[in-house]
Amino acid sequence: MRRGSTRRTVLVTLLMLLPGLAGFFGLFFYPMMVTVVRSLRPEREQVGWTLEHYIRFFAEPRARDVIVLTFVLSIGATLLSVLFSILLCLVLRRKPRGNRFYRLTMLIPRVVPGLIGALGLLLLFGSRGWVNLFLLKFVPFVNEPVTINYTIPGLIIFYFWLYFPFTAVTTLSTLEALDPAIEEAAGVAGANRWQTLRYVVIPLIMPGILAGSVLTFMAAFGAFSIPLIAGGNYRPLSVEIYRQINFTPARWSAASARAMIMALLQVAFLTIYMRILRRPTA
Amino acid sequence: MTLVRQYLRSLLNARKLLLSTFLLCFALMIYTPFLIIVFRSIGRGWFGRLWLPPEYTLDWYQWAIEVTDIVGITKNTLIIAALAVIMATLIGIPTGWAFGRRRIPGKELLMSMILLPRMIPPIAYALGVAQIFYRLQLIDTHFGVALAHVAVCAPYAILVLSATFEGLDERVLEAASVCGAGTLRSFFHVVLPLIFPGILSSMIFTFTTSYNEFTLTLMTYGKDTTTLPVRTYLAIGEGYWEVTSAMSILLIIPSLLVLFLIQRQVAPEKLVGGFKGV
Repeated sequence: MRRGSTRRTVLVTLLMLLPGLAGFFGLFFYPMMVTVVRSLRPEREQVGWTLEHYIRFFAEPRARDVIVLTFVLSIGATLLSVLFSILLCLVLRRKPRGNRFYRLTMLIPRVVPGLIGALGLLLLFGSRGWVNLFLLKFVPFVNEPVTINYTIPGLIIFYFWLYFPFTAVTTLSTLEALDPAIEEAAGVAGANRWQTLRYVVIPLIMPGILAGSVLTFMAAFGAFSIPLIAGGNYRPLSVEIYRQINFTPARWSAASARAMIMALLQVAFLTIYMRILRRPTA
Repeated sequence: MTLVRQYLRSLLNARKLLLSTFLLCFALMIYTPFLIIVFRSIGRGWFGRLWLPPEYTLDWYQWAIEVTDIVGITKNTLIIAALAVIMATLIGIPTGWAFGRRRIPGKELLMSMILLPRMIPPIAYALGVAQIFYRLQLIDTHFGVALAHVAVCAPYAILVLSATFEGLDERVLEAASVCGAGTLRSFFHVVLPLIFPGILSSMIFTFTTSYNEFTLTLMTYGKDTTTLPVRTYLAIGEGYWEVTSAMSILLIIPSLLVLFLIQRQVAPEKLVGGFKGV
């Protein structure tokens, strides 16, 4: 009787897990495998194996630029997010007036479609946008509109704007979970405000910051819509992939090979990052 | 003495001023892009070094509605989002229940596996999805595009719902059965009210995800299933910034509504984090 019911429980659990697993395998794993296989097939053929798409990609002189660009953009945006998030969260933690409003503001870039954010940023930073008007009017020695759109620093700003909430939210929640008694103890022990921040608070919230920055990095690494419309001549891997299938005839195999390279690079980078993250703090 | 005190106070005020300036800059940084879209969408003849457009008009909205068939596109978007929400919820409820209430060996591993689609760049499996859907002739059907969205929506639903089911207190269920409630009765009167907020928030998450999804749509859409994000992208490519701005404003309204509605009910942070750790 007992065994029968256990078996039934196991069966029910499996049955309940089934939709989730079906979704995972059908909509993620299988397409991923199709991408893998496609990347190893000659273009527009269903048989045969080849590595030519990988070799050809790496043989291109542009390949290195594309990969470096992807990393520069995502790492740049991540660093900027971390610095800004720490600052913002330290301020927000004091519950300034309009605290709730700022917290909500923090989420706006993630709730609104990325394309629209990018459109707004393009308009804002354009040669006739408000940023340039401001610079021309109030900053000395700026007599020409500064080109921000379609440059690497501009793209980093865009990425930062879109993806910093990941870091900021995690940092804020870690910071708020911090026991104020710890800081008081540091104060009692004779540390000044800066020392408390540098040697007590920051190390303690570091795990939260790192976890958040992983999310920002992943989002920035895989970013597609932003560089597609705001990248101009700078094409990170995702756009490079899309470009391949926009050729006529579409180069599915070449695109798949690039997608595999992208996924592998991301997984490799994340593994290294997590290693550092998990390491007991020195 | 007073001088020192005054100096200290002014220092404190300067600090406060600095903080408020910082927060103001932050708010400006987030909101000005939208503000400039709004002005662009209602302005006419905004050239040169002008801070604001010289004339105002609603023509661009009329253009957006008439030329780009925004009504039909909104309908597409909503149908697709609704289908995706239904499918994701149907997947999420049983799987979330199993994750939340049953002991599963290797649960952590299984969960991170299910969340994998949120970590791999969507374009990587979107390529595979597109090729499979071409074969199955699911491209350019509402069902097909929605199904592609489920790939990113379902992990969210499973995650949120498993947390909901996990939070369900066993004792409440026992109390219900002690009080003489049958299985059906206790389900409808006890379990359902308890898990309803969770289901609702999962549906809202999946809805926004699908509504804003771009990559997977771009790989599976056709002329009959153009969604708002894709249409905006196409409009940006066409270069009519005013019309694009008007369209963006129309596109953005539901997202803001959703944000406004849920920020009271769900911890808004969840919208961004989605899952703890990685």
